[in-house]
Amino acid sequence: MISAGIDIGSITAKCVILKDNRILGYRIMRVKPDLELTAREVLKDTLEIAGIRREEIDVIIATGYGRNMVNFADKRITEISCHAMGSSFLIPNTGTVIDIGGQDSKVIAVENGKVLDFVMNDKCAAGTGRFIEVIAVALGLKIEEIGDLALRATEKLKISSTCTVFAESEVVSYLSAGEKIENIIAGVCDAIAGRIVSMASRVGIRREVVLTGGVAKNSGVRRAIEEKLGFPVKVPEEPQIVGALGAAVLGMRQV
Amino acid sequence: MKIGYLCTFTPKELIHSAGFLPFRVFATDKPINRASAYIQSYACSQARGSLEFALEDDFYAFVFTRCCDTLMRLTDIFEFAGKRVHNIEFPTKIGNVEYYVRELKDFVEVLRAWGGEVNYESLMESLRLYRELEEKLKLLFSLSPDYETVIKAQQIDVRKAIELVDEKIRDAKRVEKPKVLITGSVCPYPEVYKIFIDAGFSIKDDLCTGSRFFEYKYPNFEPKDLDSALRYIAEKYMNKSPCPTKHYEGDRRFEYVLKLAEDCSAVVFLLVKFCDPHFFDYPQLKEILEGMGKKVALIELEFPVVSLEQLRTRVEALREVIE
Repeated sequence: MISAGIDIGSITAKCVILKDNRILGYRIMRVKPDLELTAREVLKDTLEIAGIRREEIDVIIATGYGRNMVNFADKRITEISCHAMGSSFLIPNTGTVIDIGGQDSKVIAVENGKVLDFVMNDKCAAGTGRFIEVIAVALGLKIEEIGDLALRATEKLKISSTCTVFAESEVVSYLSAGEKIENIIAGVCDAIAGRIVSMASRVGIRREVVLTGGVAKNSGVRRAIEEKLGFPVKVPEEPQIVGALGAAVLGMRQV
Repeated sequence: MKIGYLCTFTPKELIHSAGFLPFRVFATDKPINRASAYIQSYACSQARGSLEFALEDDFYAFVFTRCCDTLMRLTDIFEFAGKRVHNIEFPTKIGNVEYYVRELKDFVEVLRAWGGEVNYESLMESLRLYRELEEKLKLLFSLSPDYETVIKAQQIDVRKAIELVDEKIRDAKRVEKPKVLITGSVCPYPEVYKIFIDAGFSIKDDLCTGSRFFEYKYPNFEPKDLDSALRYIAEKYMNKSPCPTKHYEGDRRFEYVLKLAEDCSAVVFLLVKFCDPHFFDYPQLKEILEGMGKKVALIELEFPVVSLEQLRTRVEALREVIE
């Protein structure tokens, strides 16, 4: 039994191929304007990595905001259900999933892989990967550098604006005042964590808390979230593929 | 000539009987630009979008009723923007019929000053036509809710609206699917409701663009003259589907929503950002509904609605949760 999960997100497309609950291969690539073509390409690449042929796949499930453009999928399931399932597959006692993607963030209350409740921020860039991208540009940094720099901070500067555009102005203002970049970044990570944790408290926080999505790779944001929660969170080895993995797991159960 | 109104408590029968077209004003698909010169951005987008529409379109006058704070003050803003307006003081505390009859008598004089003629016969005909429209919409919605039609029916002549609804009733088919109750103020965008249908829900609503336009308990008497016809209107509107901007004896508003939710698997609060009357009720209603075993979701909208795909994800996820 082989299942493929394809997650077309706002910035990256992910694909996971699963055989009898074992990951055969996965691939992450940038999304192109043609979402169906992106889905075909990410599947083709993953097939090569997994070393299998397209005909061997029994079921394909599409998820992510571009799921409805993946016409060749057998079924489309929202990323909410897929992240819940993917997290529970990797960390069986998952109680809460915090998914911080490129364009939105969500908190999902989970029990045995099923969604109990969820809350989403999809209107505002604050608390998403986009926020970090904007700030990275303002500071002339690569996005990968942000997390480690935050961990070297000696103090956390306060970013009080909830709006990304105004927060960027605050960052520029701190730079002009001669503040250290790592202290500014620690403040940015803290601001994101603040928004996420306040959103999470709307659905109720239950351990284990699993961090997924691209921003989960950012150690600065992760530490800031842990500080606000008061306990450690779990981060899967590859947090970006959790949605696609959940789709593949749900695919196995569909057939 | 068109007379614009925003609130479903507006006595549209009186406007119609005076020879005007009562035209419900909603936010449109166009971005809100000119209105921003008159109204702050933390007023709801229904108020801002309606002002934008009013500034662009050709209306003879506008009629307001006392409902939420924003719409009350919108009366002044419309006047400041050079529009002809009249404000009917609909009592916030439901019950004082005599007071409201006096307000309606004043309104009749305003309509006459605007060149309309209100008499017993014309008012009775308008009352009959609107009741026919309301009862037909109720039938249509019991078969298959049609938001495009109910929204259009509020912006065309009542006779044409009845014909339109008749046509829709002929083709309407009841579909049995898990029910969702959508509660909130207004949502004049049919594409939003379509997302719920596409996700596999059948819809019940407690919305001012939906059932709150046509759900009434009609008075139990036949008006004999103009004064008693005005009393009929007063009683009809005091017994319409309850709205959170009003104060009712007991818990009529909550009882109404909870009764509607009884046979629904999920309840969606489809709320316009900054709509205080609805947001004030939300925490308590949510708690009671969850206690009844309903899945509850809050979806905040801002007009014009742009991010339909994000909305689709929330609605589809809710559908998956109740599966």
